[in-house]
Amino acid sequence: MDIPEEEYSIIRQCIDGNPEAYAILVRRYQDMIYNVTYRILGDPEGANDMAQETFISAYMALKDFKNSSKFSSWLCSIAINKCRDNLRSRKDSIPLDDIEEVCASNMANPEEMTHKRQVMQNLQRALNALPRDYKEVIILKHVEGLDYREMETILGVSANVLKVRTYRARETLKEILKEEEGANE
Amino acid sequence: MNKDMELIHRLLDREISREEEDDILKRINSDPLLKKEFDDLRQAIHVVETAERLTVHKGFTSAVMKGLPASRILSGRRIRDFFFKVRVVRWNMATALAMVCFVVIVLTGLFQIQRRHNLQPAESTIAVRFNFYAPQAQRVSLAGDFNKWRVDESLMRKQDNGIWTIEMPLKLGNTYNYMFVVDGKVWVTDPDAEAYRDDGFGYKNSILRVNAL
Repeated sequence: MDIPEEEYSIIRQCIDGNPEAYAILVRRYQDMIYNVTYRILGDPEGANDMAQETFISAYMALKDFKNSSKFSSWLCSIAINKCRDNLRSRKDSIPLDDIEEVCASNMANPEEMTHKRQVMQNLQRALNALPRDYKEVIILKHVEGLDYREMETILGVSANVLKVRTYRARETLKEILKEEEGANE
Repeated sequence: MNKDMELIHRLLDREISREEEDDILKRINSDPLLKKEFDDLRQAIHVVETAERLTVHKGFTSAVMKGLPASRILSGRRIRDFFFKVRVVRWNMATALAMVCFVVIVLTGLFQIQRRHNLQPAESTIAVRFNFYAPQAQRVSLAGDFNKWRVDESLMRKQDNGIWTIEMPLKLGNTYNYMFVVDGKVWVTDPDAEAYRDDGFGYKNSILRVNAL
């Protein structure tokens, strides 16, 4: 799976000592990585920091990037590993009220804001309740829309294993969402 | 996981053959429990896939770029790029006019300097005659700045009237110290000199300033 020529050229420029070119890749993938880190960690500030660290770590390891995978997959892999380390060191859970900050800037009116906030909270609560392995595959498969081959590259697990894991993750997620729905009624 | 659920998941992933799809859809529609499972799964996935996509805060890219380590060594490639990299220069009319004016001023200044240099004449010399009355002398020479005080270099010619004479090509505008040397050993100050200066050896040098006539 070769990366596009243009991306390869940017990476070569960075390795050759032209860091300014890296900004192109950052802008291109910043939202994707931020969504991944946010969905895994569940807090906007931590996710922002983790996303920035992902790009910085990726830059410092550019020489190790193999052209055989997509650059975005490689970034995701770094992001997920960083999130895993972060979660291992965390003891407290993140209050879901932080989601309000994420929603506020995009809302047109208060009712819409309340509804969207509720949806976001429910989803994030459900994701947070999933085991780590399940959360990761749900995020990559259904938040980022990746296929199993890309997920294989990112997580270092065979596609067949990831399929089974995703099936089970969906069913667990379904049950959690049903429970929340029941609790909200 | 039973076969039906596996097919449902493959259906959700669109990784199913046409025949398998027809088969599972038929069973879903004929089994209310299976249909509920399918609908609930689809709904759960729908919630995730339609969740609002988040965007980074303003300044995210700048923050990342600021966090990058500075290059410690200028590689040969960077040096080469510094000199040969194509650069885009933004300009406006005011800046362009200012640059043109600056270039015109510099060129005019250079032209003036060159012109002034060309107008100045090359250093010119004139012949200056030195006379010294010494009818008894066998030999008289002229020694000074112009010949490094050599006693035997500028020998003077004796005229019938006992006046020793010599013409020396000297530069206009210069000032020279000189003395006459009689018979190779007696240093004599020119009695007709314009001015005098102690030479530090007990004698007085004669001073001549060469002016245009």
